[in-house]
Amino acid sequence: MRLGRWKLLLPLALLVAFCTVATSGALATPAQSGEVRVAIMTDCKGGFGFAYELDIGGAQAAFSQWGGGKVTNKNKPSAGMTGIKAGGKRVNIVGYGCGDDTAPTALKETRRLMEQLNADVMVGPLSGDEAVAIANYAKTKPTKTFIIGTAGSQDPTMQIAPKNMFRYHGDGAQWNAGIGELAYKRLGWRNAAIIMDDYSFGWTSAAGMIADFCAVGGKITKRVFPPLNNADYAAFVRQLPAPDDVDGYFWAVGGNTPGSLTAFEQAYGKADPKQFIGNLFFAFLGNDKVVAPKFVGSYIGGFGTGPGLKTPQAKQYERAVTTRYPKLPVADGFVYNYYNAAWALVLGLNKSGGQVGAALQRAMPRTLKSGYEVSDGGNVRLDVRRQAIQDQYQLQLAKNADGTIGPQVVAYVPNVDQSFGGLFKPSSPPPGRSQPACKKQKTPWQGKLKAVKNGVITKTTIK
Amino acid sequence: MKASPDVGTFAGSVAERIRAWGVVGTVPRAIVAGLIVFAALFIVVIANPPDENGVGSWRTTNNGSAIDDPGSFVANLLDAATLAGWLFIVASGFSLIFGLMRVVNMAHGAFYVLGGYVAYEVQQRMTADTPGFIPGELVNTWEWLVPMAVAMICIGALGLVVQQGFLRWNQGQDLRQALITIAIAVIIADQVTAHFPRSGAFQVGGGNLATITWPGWTERRIDLHLAGVNYSLTRLVILALGLAVGVLLWLWLHRTRTGVIIRAGVDDRQMTSALGINIQRTFAIGFVVGSSLAAVGGTVGASQGGVTSGQDGLWLLYSLIVVIVGGMGSLLGAAAGSVLVALVLTFSASYLPSTGNPAGIECCTQYSITFTFVLIALVLAFRPQGLFGKAA
Amino acid sequence: MRKTAWDPKTVAERGLGLGAVVVALLGPVIFSAYFTSTVLTQTFIFGIAAASLIFLSAYGGMISLAQTALMGIAGYVIGNLVTKGGAGGETKGLVLGWDPTLALVLALVITTAVGLILGAVASRSFGIYFLMLTLTFGVIANYFFGQVTKLGGFSPIAGINQYTPPFVGDILGHPDKLYYIALGTSLVVYVVMRYLVRTPFGLSLQGLRDEPVRLGSLGYNVPLHRTLAFGFAAFVAALAGVLLVWWDGQIAPQNLGLGATIDLLIIAVIGGLGRLEGAWLGAFAFIVINNYVRDIQFPFASEKGVLPWVGGSFNTVIGVVFLVIVLVSPDGLMGIWNRMWDAVRRRGGPSQGVETREPAAEAGT
Repeated sequence: MRLGRWKLLLPLALLVAFCTVATSGALATPAQSGEVRVAIMTDCKGGFGFAYELDIGGAQAAFSQWGGGKVTNKNKPSAGMTGIKAGGKRVNIVGYGCGDDTAPTALKETRRLMEQLNADVMVGPLSGDEAVAIANYAKTKPTKTFIIGTAGSQDPTMQIAPKNMFRYHGDGAQWNAGIGELAYKRLGWRNAAIIMDDYSFGWTSAAGMIADFCAVGGKITKRVFPPLNNADYAAFVRQLPAPDDVDGYFWAVGGNTPGSLTAFEQAYGKADPKQFIGNLFFAFLGNDKVVAPKFVGSYIGGFGTGPGLKTPQAKQYERAVTTRYPKLPVADGFVYNYYNAAWALVLGLNKSGGQVGAALQRAMPRTLKSGYEVSDGGNVRLDVRRQAIQDQYQLQLAKNADGTIGPQVVAYVPNVDQSFGGLFKPSSPPPGRSQPACKKQKTPWQGKLKAVKNGVITKTTIK
Repeated sequence: MKASPDVGTFAGSVAERIRAWGVVGTVPRAIVAGLIVFAALFIVVIANPPDENGVGSWRTTNNGSAIDDPGSFVANLLDAATLAGWLFIVASGFSLIFGLMRVVNMAHGAFYVLGGYVAYEVQQRMTADTPGFIPGELVNTWEWLVPMAVAMICIGALGLVVQQGFLRWNQGQDLRQALITIAIAVIIADQVTAHFPRSGAFQVGGGNLATITWPGWTERRIDLHLAGVNYSLTRLVILALGLAVGVLLWLWLHRTRTGVIIRAGVDDRQMTSALGINIQRTFAIGFVVGSSLAAVGGTVGASQGGVTSGQDGLWLLYSLIVVIVGGMGSLLGAAAGSVLVALVLTFSASYLPSTGNPAGIECCTQYSITFTFVLIALVLAFRPQGLFGKAA
Repeated sequence: MRKTAWDPKTVAERGLGLGAVVVALLGPVIFSAYFTSTVLTQTFIFGIAAASLIFLSAYGGMISLAQTALMGIAGYVIGNLVTKGGAGGETKGLVLGWDPTLALVLALVITTAVGLILGAVASRSFGIYFLMLTLTFGVIANYFFGQVTKLGGFSPIAGINQYTPPFVGDILGHPDKLYYIALGTSLVVYVVMRYLVRTPFGLSLQGLRDEPVRLGSLGYNVPLHRTLAFGFAAFVAALAGVLLVWWDGQIAPQNLGLGATIDLLIIAVIGGLGRLEGAWLGAFAFIVINNYVRDIQFPFASEKGVLPWVGGSFNTVIGVVFLVIVLVSPDGLMGIWNRMWDAVRRRGGPSQGVETREPAAEAGT
């Protein structure tokens, strides 16, 4: 099979095309003055690649609601958005970052967005390690502003805390605040084992569960760390104590949650949902048609959202999203947290008169009337390190009326701060395998959890 | 020139070989042999369970030694065997292609994932009258086998297209073919992310994980009457499937004409072709079979916890490891490699020391995968052609 | 066929090379800041790493997938040694806060030592087995730095480029400094490699690439030669690793991962595994494609950076580009260059026998 002359002409043509592209890109596109350039950083590959449209959709819904943006394609947020105005200036979304949950890729994408495309502000990133990398990058670029999307790592606003980085949602530990107390008081757990993926997301997620459970008097008897890229969880679930030997299991596994739960059932027989408390990945179980029915009734750590909450504020948020992108799942944490980040940006630009840089950073709102917030007049508050103090909602996996399975809110935890009442400090090491230790202490929300029924926060404290 | 014993022939008595190796050759081998013996003793005798306070030391493992807790040991042995079955299903296809055509099919992992997705789509349509969820009881064997069969056919066809279109005309250029398959793997992985699953709406988190239900009758544990172990029937089914694949492959390779030709092609491609046999047709058949086996592996994987587009790199790596350790081109090699890799993965996850308070918090079972790779490196260093491979 | 100094192809190559160097020297003046500080600097850095790979493959006959891991090891040594802990400091890694010059020396020494050890272990393996061994090493290094949290863990060690040796100075404030250092290092590496292959060591290395058994029977210590070659390549990779952490400021386990390893292989292949110049050419091509493919709007496509009808994302485009390059020219871009000259020499007809490396294997086609 010979291509004859094509073997010479085709590569030559490629070379020519290639050089054209290379040289055209080499000349910088001069930034239009009088325009605010925004980049949305998310993941399109790797463990969180599914969240690409969710993140962009959430952010753009906020740009549309508060900045007058026009939706280009209501079924595909990444098609773009036009006509956004804030602070009297045009807001131009210059690009979407495509990360893969790792730091080097995030850094590369950030450079592309902030240096090649000359963005002034970044909304994002999505994941923990990415945020650590970008927080360190942010320290070197004080005139750019960064508003974290959904990243759950503690460092960016505790240990690193650059002045130009803001986070309007809780970190991974905050999301799980209250779940330990729920286990102790409602389920009567006194000792528990915990299994977590052996990397930062798993450790941070677990830290919240451990800190909360131990604070109220529970004991963690075993910690199991399956490494990343583990195909077979059988040996690791066998390290967990048998269901008769322990009150319950905290499950802080990531994308492999269905696989690990299947392995558990194969090792120990039918699982009792009341013995399992999962992190936000359990909330996604509704997508897994095999494992989900077996865990209906399990409690789940939150993601900062309160699905089904019936407050007017929540309904306004949900309307804002569904009118722009009807198919977007409104109560999903990816949508919600990116919405809040973009909304905060619009408010900041309004206050700074469209100026970016230090002026914008001064003008960024310190409180935000976030959709599912109830405390403090419905506001999320930023602490001294620009980290959100946020109400959390603990969830339970339940069967919906239409037969689908999804999380429902069962408990309300007011005013969760990042330090867990002093347990986590900038000088303390970030969550790891043995951090935090299992210590009894008083968290600010201890004894203040309220039951939630049918989307209404009742006055019943959970005892 | 005398064949160096480094090349790994089993000829010669131990004394002869030690003399040929000299000190530099014998000492590392003796150390490795000693470590293997120590590891076996550790697992069987030396290990202890954590003390009353749940604290661990270098001698502590999760449940103690095999003598302390024989049930745990037997369960781990079975876990390793079933994982070996799963690995074998995936790696045998890779080994066949590798051995026959010297093609490192870097798209094997992508075939695995795509096979899983195809099987998922088929099962969804077959069980469409049970909307929403497919609890195990409602799935029968047919509704698992048909998805697997369709996946095999589809991925086999894809393999044929790849082989005829991209690989057939550059035989012998190993690196080039490997790179072509890398490019194809990148394309397939991205297309899978873009087009699967086909439910249309945005995924509510958890994204494109596709899980398949095992037939209902497998979801039990059966009492093996051995050290009080109740073992999962599903995993035994995987083991049976792996054995079936092995037996069928053996029968095919040794008892059918095509299989004999394939074995001849593995041994000496040029001679086989010189005998007038249509070697190209044989290559095509080999590639199709190898790809289909990846699809079977994908179906099993989707049933065991789901497939996502990020898993292709992982399963390619496992296939590579199994084949290199076992020896390329031989069925026995793929089996031996699967068993060895599965044993190390499973037992290191259970029997590496659990130090710290509580036991295991600092070390070492989280290093099970790293440990496995270190062992692989050792095998490759001392016996580069694998356990059952021929000298290169 | 002996090439004389007046051979038009050599003249063209030398002319173009000189031209490229001149353009590169004037880089910060001609090109935009982003192009210089990101695209070109990365080209030099990954070009050096790819050169270590191509050196081993072209002159040693060994295709090593461990070069990325060796880069990463150098980066991690520096990252662990120079960063400082304490308030506002780095929380990951050993944070020893040592002198940057000492850290630089240690990074080079330790990585070369690791390379020598790995080379010694792998020196008796050939072909695909050598490839697998180096790949396994890369995977181990990736897991090692991720799971041994004392040395870094999965989150990146950052702020590394705040602490540079005095002769390097402040690269955060003056990115052009790093540009010129990377350019200079590339030139030095290239010249040293070209010199090395003409020394007796280099010649015997090429000999054992072609005929290891024959060379062994002539009394040459084949494993030792390969080990030393591997150690040299490790040193070059260490240089690239040091430059990488100075440029990026951060190091994370994914810098040593499977993706990064495959990327370096792709760079080397695009450039051409047979010629050293291919390293920088391939790096430039790869980085430009990765950066700018998202801005290309294909006809009939729904959006930028996406192929028509097939859809997907820009990753599909990158995969297709790579596939086309490998299908059309197994020797990469330098191979196209070579063939162009062969065609010119034969006055118009495209060459026919260039890709058939093993004629016997074509017999069945």
